[in-house]
Amino acid sequence: MKLTTKDLTQCAMLTALALGLSWTESAFPLSALIPLPGVRLGLANIVTLFALYVFGTPSALLILLSRCLLGSTFAGNMNALIFSVLGGVAALACMTALSHCERLSVYGVSVGGAAAHQCGQIAAAMLTLGNSAPLYYLPVLLFVSVFTGAVTGLIVAFLFRALDAAKALPPVG
Amino acid sequence: MGKRRPRLKPTLWDGVLAACVGLLACAILFNARVGGAAEYVTAVVYADGVEIDRARIDTPAERTYAANGCTLHARFCPDGVPGARVVSADCPTQDCVHTGTVTHSGEAIVCLPARIVIRLEGGAVPDDAPDAVIG
Repeated sequence: MKLTTKDLTQCAMLTALALGLSWTESAFPLSALIPLPGVRLGLANIVTLFALYVFGTPSALLILLSRCLLGSTFAGNMNALIFSVLGGVAALACMTALSHCERLSVYGVSVGGAAAHQCGQIAAAMLTLGNSAPLYYLPVLLFVSVFTGAVTGLIVAFLFRALDAAKALPPVG
Repeated sequence: MGKRRPRLKPTLWDGVLAACVGLLACAILFNARVGGAAEYVTAVVYADGVEIDRARIDTPAERTYAANGCTLHARFCPDGVPGARVVSADCPTQDCVHTGTVTHSGEAIVCLPARIVIRLEGGAVPDDAPDAVIG
């Protein structure tokens, strides 16, 4: 993977944006409504999904890993790293596969990514706790992921429409 | 150069995918909910993956568990209802407290910061129970 200075700058800006979104959503915890570990709106996934379509999987992975590492470092909680990495990588892998399905829109890809993210986080919890008990939370988290994935997809759809109207998107090639 | 553009309008297949996720959730939920009723169910407490305690959920009791710098106060058979709940904890997330009372086999209360799990297990009839009641 060869990165130009422009690519690197764009990745750095998107990483900063993802960190900002991640921090912002921590101010409005969804867990206040649904008291389960790992329930989040997943706003940072907007950046991952956008980067996947505009820059491709390798750049999206680079942004994702940078965001996870920096997020855990800034939060002073390196235990959270395994959760964000496993969840994020599972989501990106699922979204990459689904994005090649022409019949799915950005909404479907986003819902699939959100569901995969929850599965990844449950896997991380099982590894951390050494117990399969977190599986009990998976059904609720999957239901929530349909909602959160649809919201994320809606925002990404708005983003693409706005950037397209402003002719700010790079040409497809 | 951009890689590709997504479809921006929802399609029927998005609905199918969302339904598949919902069905998967229902299947896992059903599988978890077929556990035994509160009778004969035991709460097994794990810290860092190691079993540290067992308690009957149909007998009122209060226990305190501490691990990884966090302390949880658990109540068994709260309000006379067979089950288990964490009544208070000093963990930063408080998810374990908000989970509420678990009553069925397979259900669990997880505290990630403390790495403590209270899981309801069993539900089978004990060995000393009668095999059958006749007449």
